[in-house]
Amino acid sequence: MSRWRTWLNRGDVSRFRTWFQLAAFALLVYGGSAAVDLSNNLPTFACPFAGDERGGTCFLFPLQHMLNVKLARSAVGALIGLSMSLLTFVVWFAVLNKAWCGWLCPLGTVQDWITRLRQRLGVRGSEYSEATFRRLSAIKYFFLLLVVIPPLGVANSLFGLPRLPHDAGATWCQLCPARTLLPLFTGRTSELAIDFSTTTMVVLSSLGLLMLGVFLVGSFVKRRFFCLLCPMSALQHLFGRLALLRLSKDGARCTRCGNCARACDIGIPEIATDLETTNMTTSNCMLCLKCVAVCPETDCLQATFVGFPVYRATAAGFFARMGESGLVAPKAGLGNASQVGNGEKHS
Amino acid sequence: MSTETAGHAAEAERLLDAVEHDFPDNPAGMRPFYELYRRIYCEGQPRRGSGPLIGVTCVQVPEELIRALGATPLRLCGGSYSQAQKGAEQLPARTCSLIASTVGMLADKGPPLGGRDLALMVSPTTCQSKSKAMQLAEGMGYPVHVLEVPQSNESEVAREYFHASVWRLVARLEKATGRRLGVRQLDEAIRKVNSARAQFRRLKELRAGLGPVLLGKDALLVSQAYLLEDLDEWTAAVSRLNDELEQRRPTALEQRWGHAPRILLAGSPPVFPNLKVPLLIERLGGLIVADEVCTSDRLLNDAVAYAEPHLEDMVPALADRSLRPNTCPFYARNTERIRRLLEQAQKMKVDGVIYQTFSGCQIYELEQRAVERALTEKEIPMLALETDYSPDDLGQLTTRIETFLDIATHRPRS
Repeated sequence: MSRWRTWLNRGDVSRFRTWFQLAAFALLVYGGSAAVDLSNNLPTFACPFAGDERGGTCFLFPLQHMLNVKLARSAVGALIGLSMSLLTFVVWFAVLNKAWCGWLCPLGTVQDWITRLRQRLGVRGSEYSEATFRRLSAIKYFFLLLVVIPPLGVANSLFGLPRLPHDAGATWCQLCPARTLLPLFTGRTSELAIDFSTTTMVVLSSLGLLMLGVFLVGSFVKRRFFCLLCPMSALQHLFGRLALLRLSKDGARCTRCGNCARACDIGIPEIATDLETTNMTTSNCMLCLKCVAVCPETDCLQATFVGFPVYRATAAGFFARMGESGLVAPKAGLGNASQVGNGEKHS
Repeated sequence: MSTETAGHAAEAERLLDAVEHDFPDNPAGMRPFYELYRRIYCEGQPRRGSGPLIGVTCVQVPEELIRALGATPLRLCGGSYSQAQKGAEQLPARTCSLIASTVGMLADKGPPLGGRDLALMVSPTTCQSKSKAMQLAEGMGYPVHVLEVPQSNESEVAREYFHASVWRLVARLEKATGRRLGVRQLDEAIRKVNSARAQFRRLKELRAGLGPVLLGKDALLVSQAYLLEDLDEWTAAVSRLNDELEQRRPTALEQRWGHAPRILLAGSPPVFPNLKVPLLIERLGGLIVADEVCTSDRLLNDAVAYAEPHLEDMVPALADRSLRPNTCPFYARNTERIRRLLEQAQKMKVDGVIYQTFSGCQIYELEQRAVERALTEKEIPMLALETDYSPDDLGQLTTRIETFLDIATHRPRS
């Protein structure tokens, strides 16, 4: 048992995750072809626009549909339906917590592929300053409002305003880059067109394409660019306390060396500076566990499932992983990037 | 050979003789280290290493940068009493021995400089005395680069400031070495430094176990040799020593130090050949199992990892490692130093802390009370010693350390 644990703690979690993500991508995008249907309330972007080949459905899709009800007339019935869906969502979420983002989300996986492409090309990524990070990180709650408010506004007159047009019922889906991007993997290019059927659709589908552009450029420049803005991440975090899988930190063992914060694809500064909080699964965390892998302090960071340690930071593990290189993430980039500075003497 | 050179060589000789012959059970793996010190300090040979020699005066200098540029770092702290006497001529009366000794060493290029020229001297703006000593060095004709270190290491502003400062250092080092910093070279330097630190950690783990594996006088020589020996050689030598320590049963050590109070050495760094206090502690029956001094733990504990193979990610990674985990008493608020000291004391099952300050070393003096308070709260006794490089206070130190070890021995162990 202890030998097995040592092996696990010395392991390269990033490499394992890469393969896991590939499998999860296949399951969520193509699983339907093998008659897999996990649920209609998944806490991740299993996009219904990708067609019946998908292996489950993103919770935001039924959520918007269920919110499109006349509150005055059918509040109770709607509430029951909504709670049932929400319950399924919460149960799915509670098991894996934010690992849905880091290990399963197809949109997250695509971002990691884009990052890998950038590294292959030897292009340098960019990081946010702490202030920018905080500002951007609030956007996800605004997007969450965009998920919730428009469908309510279609069925009801909110704040005395006129009701929104019917097409605004799934506003978020129209904006979401998963709608335009993931169908491409099942051979559907139709979502890339601007929908001229109504004025609302023209506006929304144009904005959707704009979002796709921002998504592609953003994630090429910044690792996991979109995750900081993601409304699913905001919704998940509301139930964060119920989660069984966690990233925990023992501040007493932390040296604030910053390895974790720099390894973090999202770029969460607190992981390195916060010495008080024990549950470090913050609203932005995606539980990729890269921080655990680069932590040189035994038991400072660890992933726990119901309090039971799953993957621990150990000094021995750190130095075993660093033996080949101080570089943590994909090792492929090094050969290309060394062209940047070649160590030759000035002429 | 001038009288000064003879003076410090004799000091080194005496110290090494004591280290080797006054204690039983020296592991065979220590021999290369004793020889290294004899070569550099008694025979006055320059240290091994490729390329130009770059002097560093504090642990805040990211050494990987120097190594990646094909140069060799050398610690410019003096530990010799006769060098200190020489240096004191140029300094105010209450200057700490370490600074005086450094100035004395620079004045006649004595050991560990071994007569060699420095391509550059990197002087972080840590303690006032060091900054001013470097000004003197500049007057002697040494090329000095001032590495600006913020006086607080907590905020994001401090971090950005230090990053900018380290980038300036990169440019200066490139000029001094005539090379461009390359990703591949820096990666190699980081990897080698990490493997060296892995061995240091391994030694630390071995010493954390109950029972004496290695005396502190040897452990301090091992860590201090880090900036005196070729990096690969050092790593290999420590690795061999660790292998030996894992295997052997040090019977003689166990007889004498098996129930000894376990001591953590804190405060001003014991730079070779000034191992006066640590040697005395172990002569009197204490066992140094841990330390927080800049020649050892503060320099070697932390290791770096970076996320992308670009200088723009690697250089900040090195800067981060040199700033926030650093517990130098020079920082304005130093809760970190105390927190980590307590953590070490608990992890290494320490019975007492001996805190030495060199007279005139203000920053260590000023923090001494706060450290003592924190330790008292955890019921760990602390002894504060004010000393310098002269042998005059040996009698007084002996009495005080003896009494303290007695207290530490009889303290209830949890």
